[in-house]
Amino acid sequence: MNNSKLITFVAIVIPVLAVMLAARFLGFPVFERIATLLFINMILVLGLQAFMGNSGILSFAHIAFMGIGAYTSSLFTIPLQMRGMVLPDLYPVLKPILLSPYAAIAVGAVAAMLVAALVAYPLMRLSDAAAVITSFALLVVMHTIMVNWSEVTNGPRTLFGVPKATTIYLAAGGAILAALVALYFKESRTGLLLRAVRDDEIAAGAMGANLSLLRWKGFVLSALFAGFAGGLWAHFITSYQPSAFYLKETFVILGMLVIGGAGTVSGAVLGTFVVTFAFEALRATENALNSSSVFPWQLVGLTEIVLALAMIAVLVLRPGGLIEAEEFGATWRKWRRRG
Amino acid sequence: MVNQSLKANSVTVEFVGLRALDNVSLTLNRREILGLIGPNGSGKTTLINVLTGQVKPVSGTVTCDGEDISALLPRERALRGILRSFQTVRLFSNLTVEENIEVAAIAKGSSRRAAGRIVDRLLEEFSLGAYRAELASSLNYGDERRVEIARALAAEPKYLLLDEPAAGMNEDESATLMQVLARLPQERDLGIIIIDHDMPLIMRLCHRLQAIAQGKTIGEGGVDEVRRLPAVIEAYLGADAVESEDHA
Repeated sequence: MNNSKLITFVAIVIPVLAVMLAARFLGFPVFERIATLLFINMILVLGLQAFMGNSGILSFAHIAFMGIGAYTSSLFTIPLQMRGMVLPDLYPVLKPILLSPYAAIAVGAVAAMLVAALVAYPLMRLSDAAAVITSFALLVVMHTIMVNWSEVTNGPRTLFGVPKATTIYLAAGGAILAALVALYFKESRTGLLLRAVRDDEIAAGAMGANLSLLRWKGFVLSALFAGFAGGLWAHFITSYQPSAFYLKETFVILGMLVIGGAGTVSGAVLGTFVVTFAFEALRATENALNSSSVFPWQLVGLTEIVLALAMIAVLVLRPGGLIEAEEFGATWRKWRRRG
Repeated sequence: MVNQSLKANSVTVEFVGLRALDNVSLTLNRREILGLIGPNGSGKTTLINVLTGQVKPVSGTVTCDGEDISALLPRERALRGILRSFQTVRLFSNLTVEENIEVAAIAKGSSRRAAGRIVDRLLEEFSLGAYRAELASSLNYGDERRVEIARALAAEPKYLLLDEPAAGMNEDESATLMQVLARLPQERDLGIIIIDHDMPLIMRLCHRLQAIAQGKTIGEGGVDEVRRLPAVIEAYLGADAVESEDHA
């Protein structure tokens, strides 16, 4: 890792640690909750960046892999005596297996990665609109499976009894690890070739780049991130249903990435922070306005509408996002040299 | 040693009824520069596309060092050493100049370290060192062309197909480029095809010429021989050729 990459990494680690310490020691439990979810979202956004940023292909399927990670890890951590109640139809083979939450989160991440490895290869030859639509179809398929596979998901009903294991430290550590891997992947051989394919498929092919294989690698890595985030999330929230892994979450994660800048790891991280803070500020404003009855009606959906408008504004004014093409470290070094 | 050459054998290409190439053959040997000339729309670029696999001919074959490669994809042909530049420059615009060149070396299978050495050498050879860390999208047209050629060379080609490499360059730039290109065949055991409309330049640089008009070969051979062929003069060179002969 050279100097400018190190600066980028440090610039990502500092706010993560700052938010973690502030949330931990200011003494409001709600801050700790917000910060933990921010770190988990950061892993999701970085995962999406690893594929989308480097390949240039928009993927809607990402959140479904988060669901796979969540459900798979939960299957192994729900206490044995509760399983009959939570998942009455669970396969006998799975009934006696109990793992520590950390091992289970790892298993969930690997499961998401394996599913991605199996389903994605035939899709990776597609480009542009066809690729986007297929990824959306993949989200719908996997969502439908989660809703109907009652044996392991409890169907559309809430799955509960997942032990709480994700601390703010674990989430922050995961987020830093994700940033490190995303930075490394971007600069790796595969990452570099994938970015070349993104910029010009034909020219990259004319140099020998195998576009399906490169995209597949990126997609599988991105599913690993999503599965990991899903496991962390499940062991933080402790009860959830399949609707948690669908359009609303997809939109939030995509919004963070697009606003921050899909092309860069710095952008993915910045987008996560900016959107999280904006969300919380808007939510607080909404609550304050509603409780003080400034308007004769109740304000609802302010956060979603503002996120949508922010996404539109960014796409119109700065299509590449807040940090478009150059990682923070590279910009910093140029600025320092000139300064 | 088998015959070290890249060949198109009786290639015919049709685009929705239009016959773009009609039974055209071409041979490019190592260590030579072959100029491909002809009027706009005569099929020069299509012939390059056939050699690199971007266009599939309706009949005819392509062989590389004696082996039939007609069924191979462009990327597979690239791995066998057939590299190209494009008529409209196709750089990776969000990558730096350095990365653009490095990508080609890595796609070929070079290690990171070896790729770094290749990049350093090419940046120097093409006087691109100053732009090393700049994004490719920030370059001017002449520099873009040079990066594209350097990029193709980073993949260590055995055959290099250049589609109007000097287009958009000023005279100095194009003269410097020609000096670099002229050395390559011997230095790198490389065969080069050049398409260009700058006839004086083509005549200085190329060892052989092949002229194409309306999808057919109308002449091939030594530079002086081809440019004197009546069919070539009529189809393409016209008044320009007469003029440049006067200057010579």
